Amino acid sequence: MPGSIIEGRRIAESQTRTPDFCIVGSGASGGVCALKLAEAGFDVLVLEEGPNIPHGPGHGGPSHVRPSFTEREIDMYKTLYQEGGGRTTSDGGIKVMQGRCLGGGTTVNWSACLPPPVFTLDHWRTQFGLPFTRQNLQPYLIEVVNYLHIHQNDRYNTSAQALIAGCTELGYRWSNLPNNTHRCRECGSCGVGCPYDRKQSGIVTWLPAAVERGATIYTDTKVNHLKRDGERVSEVQAAFLDAKTQPTKRTLTVRPKLGVLLAAGAIGTPSILLRSQINPNELVGKYTHLHPVTICIGRYGQPTFPAYGVPDNMMSDQFAAGPTGYLIETGSFFPVLSAAASLDYGERMHRLMRDYYPFGAIMYAHHCSGFAPDQPYGTLKLDRYGDPDLEYQLAPDNMQAMKHSLIEMTKIHLAAGASSVYHITNPSLEISSTNELHQLNDISFEPQRTTIFTVHVMGGCRMGADGARSVVKPDFRLRGAANVWVVDASIFPTGLGANPQVTIYALALWAAREICTQHNRPFALHQQQEETLPWAGY
Amino acid sequence: MGRILTPILALLAWPKKVIQIDEDALNFLDGKTAHILFAVGEAVTGEDFRVKVPHFIPLIDEYLAYQRRQQREAFRQGLLLVENALANLVFGGRLRGFSHMSIADRQRVLEHLKGSDTQLLRNLYAAFVNVSASAYYASEATWKDIHYDGVSVDHPPLLQVARWRSNDPRPVEP
Repeated sequence: MPGSIIEGRRIAESQTRTPDFCIVGSGASGGVCALKLAEAGFDVLVLEEGPNIPHGPGHGGPSHVRPSFTEREIDMYKTLYQEGGGRTTSDGGIKVMQGRCLGGGTTVNWSACLPPPVFTLDHWRTQFGLPFTRQNLQPYLIEVVNYLHIHQNDRYNTSAQALIAGCTELGYRWSNLPNNTHRCRECGSCGVGCPYDRKQSGIVTWLPAAVERGATIYTDTKVNHLKRDGERVSEVQAAFLDAKTQPTKRTLTVRPKLGVLLAAGAIGTPSILLRSQINPNELVGKYTHLHPVTICIGRYGQPTFPAYGVPDNMMSDQFAAGPTGYLIETGSFFPVLSAAASLDYGERMHRLMRDYYPFGAIMYAHHCSGFAPDQPYGTLKLDRYGDPDLEYQLAPDNMQAMKHSLIEMTKIHLAAGASSVYHITNPSLEISSTNELHQLNDISFEPQRTTIFTVHVMGGCRMGADGARSVVKPDFRLRGAANVWVVDASIFPTGLGANPQVTIYALALWAAREICTQHNRPFALHQQQEETLPWAGY
Repeated sequence: MGRILTPILALLAWPKKVIQIDEDALNFLDGKTAHILFAVGEAVTGEDFRVKVPHFIPLIDEYLAYQRRQQREAFRQGLLLVENALANLVFGGRLRGFSHMSIADRQRVLEHLKGSDTQLLRNLYAAFVNVSASAYYASEATWKDIHYDGVSVDHPPLLQVARWRSNDPRPVEP
């Protein structure tokens, strides 16, 4: 019998539920586990802090099937992102863009799909005793690729075309970056929710399939505490939120019969554990890793229509090798996102918007981090109200690599024909020839000296075989709590070195298999028909 | 510290009221911080601000609902601090409340915050730019200046011709 999606904002009275499993979070890992556990016949309840995104007719023609996805930036950032899109590290230095809605990050990411780098898996195995290898992940990767229709879409927007042209001119590698889309309409709005259901996010795939198999999902429902009873968590205590994310007096108490899966992401999951004073080895919140992102915008001689087209289907891995390597990718960009990143005001800000927005192409670099044991790392703490506050310090190696990426992206833009390249620094910097590249060696990464953001947060509940150096066991169980599994990116012992959604999906499938096996229930992969993966050389 | 400083700064703040604000409709700002915020928005984006972003105060008041509580408090405190005449003597050389200054003088204060060696002041500056510039460029009235045609669900014909890949004749998927 199908389950349902219940909107917490509409609930009039406090409630108590007793499912087999309670899954906290409906993003990449929560969606996978909801479906696989529901398939196995378990009674599954999913709690999501963010809003529901109902299906229905929109005002933008017959293909507009998610009416609440209006593509209007400020409204969408406000409702679909943590802290209205305004989350930063505690020193304000890095903007942290994280989804906060049904489907979590899968709903608002740019559809980029890369597999876990082999060097990262090797590092995790040798340094932390994790069981994952390129070979044993293969069936899970195939499942994800086929279920989410991950493929190479070769319709390139102007930023992607600039990357191809510049890399070709310089002799750098470039390649297609596969997407989880089906018949993409090229509206460019992946980052504010696909209004046409063409992105194969959790709200289109795992979650409705889980509901079809009996799972129940509560949205607008924030988990505050886990109540511990000896070696088990006996209760999940949550509050229903109103339409503006403010807590109501109505609560939800969940007493799961078999267990709790934490899937609230690398900030959400450690926060819940810290609020609940569950802290194995005093390591919860420690070793939080980001992929810091540097950005620059080239100005070209003709209109580029930067808001439209497939946002993120081209990359260069020319400089990706090693623990401080970086991937260069491209995107679409919109007026509010561009203005919000600015470190200028007044006429200079307007002049930069007029000069660069209509004629701009964007490149950005995701930087790998967290591999050297003596590097600084992030620590998630709670502020005085119990909300998450991430202290994060850039490592010297990262800062060196970030200057390198800014220089290389500038070279690529100039080689592609850009007349100048704008760097969002304080004071802002425009570079028009390779003779001026040396100026980039002098930029600072102190807060508000250069705009840095991240969309990938990992770690904080490190998985490992060493009982004293980890929070989560290699079978995904939380140390010291026999009925709690941590299934999201918080288990990553380091940064991943690639866009993480595919890895999160694959590991969540692994976790679901572990749980089904432990409870003598069937677990099956259904999408094994095509064995070719869309990543050349992987 | 903030819990002591904010009420003191609020007592000392008497911002200039240049627009009508429905204070009863505010949830996170109050009358004083709302008027200071308007002065900030005008300094960041210029004289046409009130025409292009007529609903700035309710927009940001609602946006603050989504911020974590500690950030909201820090933002309010920052507004009250920048309105303080003594602070502005340090920031910009004028012994006047921020909202009482001309736009040019307010921009001198912004310039001081922007270039400050004190991280907290730079963060304050960045927060001011972030909310003001976001609200400004969220307004359709500004899109013509930057040749932005709007979103596809409001203007479905935008996706009829793939102008962003003019050398590729394949049509956009229907």
